[in-house]
Amino acid sequence: MHCPKRVSDDGYLRSVALMGTVVTIQVVGHLVDRQQLIQRDAAVERAFDWFRRIEECCTRFDAQSELMQLTAQIGVSVPVSAILYEAVQFSLAVAEESGGAFDPTVGCVMETRGFDREYRTGLTIRTALEPSPTVSYRDVRLDPERKAITLLRPLILDLGAIAKGLAIDLAVRELRPFENFAVDAGGDLYLGGCSPNGETWSIGIRHPRRENELIHSLTVSDRAVCTSGDYERQSPTGDNGHHILDPRTGASVGEVASVTVVAPSAMLADALATAAFVLGPAEGIRLFERLGVDGLIVSPTLERFATRGMS
Amino acid sequence: MGKSGLSWLATTLIIVGAAITAGHPALGTITGLAILLLGIGTAVGALPVPGQFSEDYIVERRVAGQKISNTLVTLSSAAIIAVYAAGYHRTEPAADKFEAQTARRSTAAPIAAGVAAPTTAALGVEATPTVPRSLVPPPRKDNPRPATQTIQKAAPAPSPIEQSPQPPSAPPAGPTAADPVAEPTAPAVVTGQTKYKDGTYLGWGSCRHGDIQASVVILNGQIVSTAIATCATRYSCSWIANLPGQVVNRQSPKVDYVSGATQSSDAFSDAVADALSKASE
Repeated sequence: MHCPKRVSDDGYLRSVALMGTVVTIQVVGHLVDRQQLIQRDAAVERAFDWFRRIEECCTRFDAQSELMQLTAQIGVSVPVSAILYEAVQFSLAVAEESGGAFDPTVGCVMETRGFDREYRTGLTIRTALEPSPTVSYRDVRLDPERKAITLLRPLILDLGAIAKGLAIDLAVRELRPFENFAVDAGGDLYLGGCSPNGETWSIGIRHPRRENELIHSLTVSDRAVCTSGDYERQSPTGDNGHHILDPRTGASVGEVASVTVVAPSAMLADALATAAFVLGPAEGIRLFERLGVDGLIVSPTLERFATRGMS
Repeated sequence: MGKSGLSWLATTLIIVGAAITAGHPALGTITGLAILLLGIGTAVGALPVPGQFSEDYIVERRVAGQKISNTLVTLSSAAIIAVYAAGYHRTEPAADKFEAQTARRSTAAPIAAGVAAPTTAALGVEATPTVPRSLVPPPRKDNPRPATQTIQKAAPAPSPIEQSPQPPSAPPAGPTAADPVAEPTAPAVVTGQTKYKDGTYLGWGSCRHGDIQASVVILNGQIVSTAIATCATRYSCSWIANLPGQVVNRQSPKVDYVSGATQSSDAFSDAVADALSKASE
């Protein structure tokens, strides 16, 4: 990526609380005339709108969301919206690719472990499902013709990572004409083009143990950077588990303190960060290299494992 | 890869078809991208690529001589295109409405960092409330903070926040936030969908590292800006320095953004919601 000496002094920065986090969109420059200004504002507006629509569709914390409506129907082929279909289809592909380390059907296990509280409203969501340890992503069937999804057994789909990533990617599509921009959804990032300084964006990776430090920094352009850490949300049941669970055992995984993935799309980066958390450092890095993405995995003892392109 | 190539072609044709039936020229961009993607998809699978090193992910993969990995990268792009194409007509009205609204507003339309434009326009065709659901004030039963008056007292120390509501600067005609019985969904005019009282409000949000206080400015019933008022976390708020207001200076490792800052962001989001609960009382 070749950046001009200095892109622009002016710019646009706006934050909105969405999807249980704060979403910030920054657009660099492009204030040539009033018409462009209006277009830019409209594009940012549409970008934020994607977050709202995807949250509405994919949240586990609203019994009326399309996702929860789907999980209420077992053994029935349910036609769904493009958002839900694509999100589920992609999550199944990642599940397949990671050998089940990433599994969107982990939701049921999460409920029994206490991750059932909507942390913004305090509402508790609990379904009458008996968690079955044998439920997996293989119990979800897709019908590409009708864009329909069938759940073969009672399960809860958790599209958390995928949905946020998808929202970032769609926001990016709206902002693409402006070339130089950034989308930050609670530390999950996409950086387009160049920063206002006329350089590729410099990104710090949060230190998983010392909160006012960075463990690594890198420069990126036209890439998503997503970091998943064991510091994010502790299990309320007090067993020291965090919110990433091994779908194969249902327990929190302990080999990894944080995972950062740099990929062409946020949806992919987010999903792979979750998968690598479960796989552990060695297997995680192997997965990244096989998929052609870059990644950094930090162990609880602060040992670092990185792909070639990360250093 | 032949089969996959065909499916790519199919996807493209569907999008082209949709574009034609919808008669919308803007979808041409999407179509173009789809065709481009089709080209990449087939090229990577079927065509021999010279073994030169490149940073490009797809080529790099090709060098590694593995086919499977490309699927996730292309699949994610395909998913984004599919959702985008399907949803284009829903976002368009939002944009149009926004443009109309922007035109009505004075040239003082805020551009500065951290300024939140009115959220109404973004909500698209549905008659939804002014503020995204995530901003709906949560019941804060277990809020460790004492009552409101203490919160108000704590504010002035770190940053000078106006405590008194700003003088309502002549809201436009029609139902306003001052009218509590105003039906939020009734008028077609966006300015009528408000439910917040003008002023500056403060709210607290907590995470396990401490508390964050946010200030929210409401003007003409709409959120004009949000900022961090107090950062009472154990660690510095440099993690969220890109949030509006730029209250806290970033610390030494000079970077544009920080990846992995979920904790404080959640707290900030809660704080904004708390402030809005006061604005809607």
